[in-house]
Amino acid sequence: MGRRELISGPNFSGRSGALMTLLRDGAFAAQSFYVGPYSEAALSGLSSTIADEIGIYRAKPEIAPGAQARRAFAPLDFAALGRREPQTLSGGEQVLLALHCFSLSAYSALAIDTAFEQLDRENREHALAYLDPHGPVANVALIDNRLPPLPGWRTTERAADTAEFDCDPRRPVADLPRRDAPAIDISGLRFSYRRGPDIFRAVDLSLRGGAAYRLAGPNGAGKTTLLKLLVGVLAPTAGAVTLGGERYRPWRTGNRAIALATQNPDHQWCGATLRDDLARRRAAFAGHAPAERLSEARNGDVAASLGIRSLDAHLYELPLAARKRLSWLWPLSGALPWLMLDEPSLGQDLNTRLRLAEALSGLVALGYGVLFVTHDDDFAARVPHRVLALGEGQIKTT
Amino acid sequence: MTPNGAFTVGLVLIAMSLTNPGPRGSAILIALALAFAIIEVRGAALVALRRAALIVLPLALFMGLLWVGIVGKAPAEIAAGAAGTRAAALIYVARLCGRLLFIVAVVQLVIMRFDALTPLQLIRALALPVAAKRVLVITLSLIATLRHAIDRAHIALIAAGTLTRAASLRNAVHSWRLIQAVWLSAVTIMLGRMRDKWPVENTLSLLDRSLETGSARLFAGDDRIWLPITVGAAIMALIADRIGAS
Amino acid sequence: MFTTPRLILIALGAALNFSIGTVVYLLKLPIYLDSIGTILAALLLAPDRRAAFVCAWAAAWASLALSGLVNPFLPWFAMTDVAIALVTALLTVGAAATFRAHPLRSSSFAAQVVLCGVATGVVSAVVSLPVVVYLFGGVTGSGSAFLVALFLESGQRLMNAAMLSGLVNDPLDKVLQVLLAAMLYRVTPGDFIALLRG
Repeated sequence: MGRRELISGPNFSGRSGALMTLLRDGAFAAQSFYVGPYSEAALSGLSSTIADEIGIYRAKPEIAPGAQARRAFAPLDFAALGRREPQTLSGGEQVLLALHCFSLSAYSALAIDTAFEQLDRENREHALAYLDPHGPVANVALIDNRLPPLPGWRTTERAADTAEFDCDPRRPVADLPRRDAPAIDISGLRFSYRRGPDIFRAVDLSLRGGAAYRLAGPNGAGKTTLLKLLVGVLAPTAGAVTLGGERYRPWRTGNRAIALATQNPDHQWCGATLRDDLARRRAAFAGHAPAERLSEARNGDVAASLGIRSLDAHLYELPLAARKRLSWLWPLSGALPWLMLDEPSLGQDLNTRLRLAEALSGLVALGYGVLFVTHDDDFAARVPHRVLALGEGQIKTT
Repeated sequence: MTPNGAFTVGLVLIAMSLTNPGPRGSAILIALALAFAIIEVRGAALVALRRAALIVLPLALFMGLLWVGIVGKAPAEIAAGAAGTRAAALIYVARLCGRLLFIVAVVQLVIMRFDALTPLQLIRALALPVAAKRVLVITLSLIATLRHAIDRAHIALIAAGTLTRAASLRNAVHSWRLIQAVWLSAVTIMLGRMRDKWPVENTLSLLDRSLETGSARLFAGDDRIWLPITVGAAIMALIADRIGAS
Repeated sequence: MFTTPRLILIALGAALNFSIGTVVYLLKLPIYLDSIGTILAALLLAPDRRAAFVCAWAAAWASLALSGLVNPFLPWFAMTDVAIALVTALLTVGAAATFRAHPLRSSSFAAQVVLCGVATGVVSAVVSLPVVVYLFGGVTGSGSAFLVALFLESGQRLMNAAMLSGLVNDPLDKVLQVLLAAMLYRVTPGDFIALLRG
């Protein structure tokens, strides 16, 4: 039976450092395959096609004659996707690709730093089954914010070693007054990319303020396309959108409704420092959002609630978990009536996830509208919501 | 045929086209390129030629508009201080665009010849130092990463009111924020890889092993037929018009 | 010379050169910025001018090799790229401290950007001239071609017309590129720069 190490604890308890120390240890040293947080950290960064990514890692018998023949992990037909760029896969699919590469490689040990949080429930169970202590993998070291202690695994519980980034996303919401987010009504929406099939075909949809909606659907079903249409990156081929009963064409007039938090927080910064980022947003929405919600002082307080106490913080140099929390600032500031959050709970410990769920529920109770995408069913269950199921050109509310 | 062989054939053809061959020399070069297209590239040659036409056509139209429509005379006529004619300008544009089309078509034919190879397989086959191959491989991967980051950051910055969908003064003023977001997210990703994944896995040694060629030879297989033919054709193209003239 | 971090820097510079075209296209900007990665790669290796030149050159040629597959007119400007790398290493790298100074000294920053941009642009125009004239007949498809036509109409020979057009257009373009590279240099994390020095 192989060695199984689960490193638990809150954010900023040194889990990643402990993982790195473990990887220098006998059973793991020089033999570990590493899957980091976020899809970009799962892949090698040395390939531009899926076939090449697999080819780089596939064990060469002449180099590793003693490598145990190991059952391959193949939840997707990666061979059929060989010519595609790995970056065109969803985050979860890239993690699955990484595991597939590991299963074909000569590495005997596997280290995973929160990457499994990007997997949906089915693939998560599949992956954990593959890592079963009696399974084909010799040694595994794992960090995951959503796993309880597992049988056959040695769990190391770490304590927070700094209060520097302490976070409570409920605080900014507690100060907000009621806001009745105008309804977003979509009728006859039709959209396809040039020369492509219809992504949406005569879609009618009504999104009410004071409600939360979870977008669900397979990769390619149109979640990103819907977001692009609502914030005005794309214009529909046909159909109309109203906001509070009035014609709303963000592709012409700009986004006035939705505060967005991206899955990878680094994709959303408008500046290199927090002060610069906030100043840009303030300038962009002056006249379109309540002045008080845009003020530097207020947003400085919101940032402090999320663990960042200096406006001069260099955004890209903050720890990853802190950057993710800061990505909630704009939605939680209450500047815009609708919020869209893409995998908001990634990399966050239990306490923070619970508080974020409470914060979002609080915003809904105040009349804000919330759209979110998540693979974390427990998190979703704590935010009363309806499901928007995307697929086959339609969006159905359940 | 190896990529080294195909690139050499392509380079010779392109170099010869720049020597301003006359009608006979041009015919020899075109014949060689067609032979390469038919024998080595086959069906995909049509794709290559279509792509070449699509690339050169806008420039050809632009040049035609400029030289024939606006200037109305050829450079040689301007240099001679002559009145000049639009017909001379048209001939000038046609020769220039013809050469450009030939060059672009040769490049596309060579690319299509190896369309079945993955980028790693193609780069492995090239006669380059390992460091250069590493750079090309990592650059290709980063280009895909940056493209993804550009798409995501573009959405987010439009959502944040910083950029607009259509051309605008706002885009001109704030485009640097998109470039900044993309650059810094790429640096952050690479810092992470250099700190965590690569040292743990020794990933770069895997890459180096993938890039090592099995054979030490630069050229192999059908290269031994094409290269002498290409060199021979180049010599003939050089002297063909001179023989005719003398 | 070619440590792993420096190879990464070359790849990053090359990928940035290649990808800026996508940004320009998405934002519908009327310019083409293809050397920001080259200039930035050199700045990040300041004050080591030799390393700056070599790595900037490598970044430029790596992006050229890949861009050439998509835009086959670019590889012809390979010597222009070497010239840009050289001017950047000799001149622009000297302004690195000004670019990264905190707090920002606006007038010094602007003066250095203009000086380095103009110098890079003039050198770039001169080195590109034979290719522009001989291969493209003075017309590379950009708006500068109309400048060429204007000069030709006034009776200038092609070489002169293309040179004058280049000397008007290129420095403006390069000032903008140096500005963007300097701004990116300013915000690049110190950890990354330290790795490049090691």
